[in-house]
Amino acid sequence: MFLKPLRFGTLAVYTQLLVRRYLSTRIIPLIAVAAVGLCVALVVIVVSVMSGFLDNLRASGRTLMGDVVISYPVQGIPYYKEFIADVLKLPGAAAATPLVDTYGLLRMPYPGGPNKDVVTAQVWAIEPETFSQVTELDRTIWWKPAASAQEALTMAEDDPRRQQDLSGLYEDAKVLRDRATGRPGALLGMHVSIVNQRQRDGSYRPRNSMWWMPNHEITVTLVPISEKGTVSQSNSRVFKVVNEVMSGVFQVDKNRVFIPLKEGQELLRLDEAPIVDTTAVPDASGNYPVIGTSPARATQILVRAKEGVTPDELRVQVAEAYEQFYLQKSADPNVRTRPPAAEYVSIMTWEQRLRDLIAPVEKERQMMRILFSITYLVCAGLILAIFWSIVSEKTRDIGILRAIGASRMGVLWIFLRYGLTIGMVGSGVGIVLAWLVIRNINAIHMALGNDAPPWLYVTFFLLAAGSAALTVRALTRSRILSVLLWTVATLALVGIGTGLVLHRGFLIWDPAVYYFATIPSEMDWNNAWITAVGAIVFSVLGAAVPAARAADIDPVRALRYE
Amino acid sequence: MTMHPHSTPPHAAEGVLLSACDVVRTYRMGRVEVPVLKSASIDVKPGEWVAILGSSGSGKSTLLHLLGGLDRADSGTVTFRGEHVGGYSQSRLDRYRNEHIGFVFQFYHLLPELNVLENTLLPATIGIGRFEWMRRQGEIRDRARMLLDRFGLSHRFRHRPAELSGGERQRVAIARALMHNPDVLLADEPTGNLDAKTGDTILDMIAEQHRAGLTVVMVTHDQWIAARADRTVHLVDGRVA
Ligand SMILES: Nc1ncnc2c1ncn2[C@@H]1O[C@H](COP(=O)(O)OP(=O)(O)OP(=O)(O)O)[C@@H](O)[C@H]1O
Ligand SMILES: [Mg+2]
Repeated sequence: MFLKPLRFGTLAVYTQLLVRRYLSTRIIPLIAVAAVGLCVALVVIVVSVMSGFLDNLRASGRTLMGDVVISYPVQGIPYYKEFIADVLKLPGAAAATPLVDTYGLLRMPYPGGPNKDVVTAQVWAIEPETFSQVTELDRTIWWKPAASAQEALTMAEDDPRRQQDLSGLYEDAKVLRDRATGRPGALLGMHVSIVNQRQRDGSYRPRNSMWWMPNHEITVTLVPISEKGTVSQSNSRVFKVVNEVMSGVFQVDKNRVFIPLKEGQELLRLDEAPIVDTTAVPDASGNYPVIGTSPARATQILVRAKEGVTPDELRVQVAEAYEQFYLQKSADPNVRTRPPAAEYVSIMTWEQRLRDLIAPVEKERQMMRILFSITYLVCAGLILAIFWSIVSEKTRDIGILRAIGASRMGVLWIFLRYGLTIGMVGSGVGIVLAWLVIRNINAIHMALGNDAPPWLYVTFFLLAAGSAALTVRALTRSRILSVLLWTVATLALVGIGTGLVLHRGFLIWDPAVYYFATIPSEMDWNNAWITAVGAIVFSVLGAAVPAARAADIDPVRALRYE
Repeated sequence: MTMHPHSTPPHAAEGVLLSACDVVRTYRMGRVEVPVLKSASIDVKPGEWVAILGSSGSGKSTLLHLLGGLDRADSGTVTFRGEHVGGYSQSRLDRYRNEHIGFVFQFYHLLPELNVLENTLLPATIGIGRFEWMRRQGEIRDRARMLLDRFGLSHRFRHRPAELSGGERQRVAIARALMHNPDVLLADEPTGNLDAKTGDTILDMIAEQHRAGLTVVMVTHDQWIAARADRTVHLVDGRVA
């Protein structure tokens, strides 16, 4: 008799029709989509940049200093070669390298105005071969031949990497020596000199090709400090600039200079030297008798862990090895210069060494999470409010639908689907927006840093003129709303144009503050998907509450609803 | 779907399609109870056109809503073809409204986002599953167009309700009510918002459907309009006189 197919609200034709019409004939869903999209984009962009920053920090920390750092500044550790031999026998160590680090003065070749040609720098005297085994110095050498002819063609015309064959320079950098003359070489951080200018695409050009650093020499002046902490006569030496390095860590690229270990030790008087007895009578040529040898020293030893060994495990092994080394040297009667006791030597993993830097970022990320939970809630509240108003406005429709036989589930489903659609479209828009911004974040940032191009503000003023004309037209037709909207539009356009004219370029991302030369521009896809799903869930929930309320409305009351 | 085994109420006369028996409906407003229907009874025979006449606030709409299954009585019974409508489950009640009843309201009650054709199709899209819809879509659309054609709205299919006059809107509402071939048309002051001439054409359309065999229950407070019905009952003091 009443043989009719089951009518699922979810499958019914009218729910689909109404969702489509509610979405397409009104402005409110567009506002909701924009709100969801902006929320998603905001969260994805900021979290991506923050985690990119932390990841960069971690990656660079390790590539700059290996896994474990043994450090005894100023005086350095004697017999470091023997200690390194001990370290290399450890099960967890893959490579180790000594270095001497200090601060020094560099005299640059270019005329820099008052004092500009002398800069202070952090000088690392290294053994390039072993240093490259522990860190990734090779990778950071900037002036090197293009990997392929195609890559060379993508470089700008005036990029030195395209103009000349840099393979010789690259090989010089790897041995820290001008191989043609045998002179010691220096590797400068990319921003140590004022010559290099960063381009929008991330490449570098010399400000003036005459002062391209690898064609020049610098003078390094170091000040040895005695055991008693007194300063002695400073020593200088000329180094050929063999290349420049770009680690991406701004503090390093701005301050660090690499020279060969031997030269560094000599300049700081940390090299091997005979010990003379000044209380004895000098011989015929005025020399005191030699009574021993002062060993060469290194102020730091960097160790790289084997694959699968954590820095912490390696640190324990290294600390034990140092204890052994110290005991053995102290017991040796032939040793006149004892190594410092273990408690005076700092043995840290790279993470501990960078803790001052990493901890605040981790904290900041926690803060961000909390802030974004709040943003999420605000967005959810916004969506809830939008849906509430939509459903309230549709109350009479609901009564009509119920009078014609629509089920409660069907009515509920209309609004759930509405929320689902807005959530999905909004999330999609948000992810695309975030992706576009993140991909171009450095370009956007650079553009903000420059003065606005004239065509941009001229365009805005032309638009403002058009909008002013429309205001006048609306005035003559005495349309109050049009007059209002066009006046606002005109003022806004004039405001933006004026702002652009006055805009003198500002950089939000100050590399000196944020450690890295560029803003991390990798999308954090995991976070993006979670955020998108979260936004969809919130949209559906935001729709669910008023939708459930709508489904509960008594149809007669809904019909009377004004 | 099988028929629910409802016992036939004893006073339901033979040949009655839809009836209300001693229905009581009281609205509670805060602490005050407003008795609207005190003990109203009405029998509607198949093919009959009944007018319910009463002053404003007498409970005419309330009675119509009870007959149409939009509202439930506090006590008393509404029976349709001998079935106890008050005992229907929620989904059975939805289907009752969809298949057996066609509502026409004083204020048209069209959905503003849908065009004329979609508004007319609405009962079919609600009552028919997706698969049947896909199968019978053409035939159903033809019926909607035929109804709109007959009511002189053939050039208005794509228009929104806001673009129509009151009389045109009411014609769309009647087309929608007839879409699913209901057993009873429940009209709540269908001409109440229209001028006399337009109201007359609406009544002519209802009369035409009635001649074709449709059962009509019409609420009005105008005795001249009530005169067009076969029979007039008066709702006074919550009772049908
Ligand atoms: N949901 C409600 N809550 C409270 N009172 C209600 C409600 N619905 C109706 N009423 C009251 O019930 C009474 C009857 O209402 P009803 O709409 O049935 O009257 P009516 O005869 O159709 O009047 P009209 O000719 O003006 O349409 C009115 O006094 C009204 O105020
Ligand atoms: Mg009424």
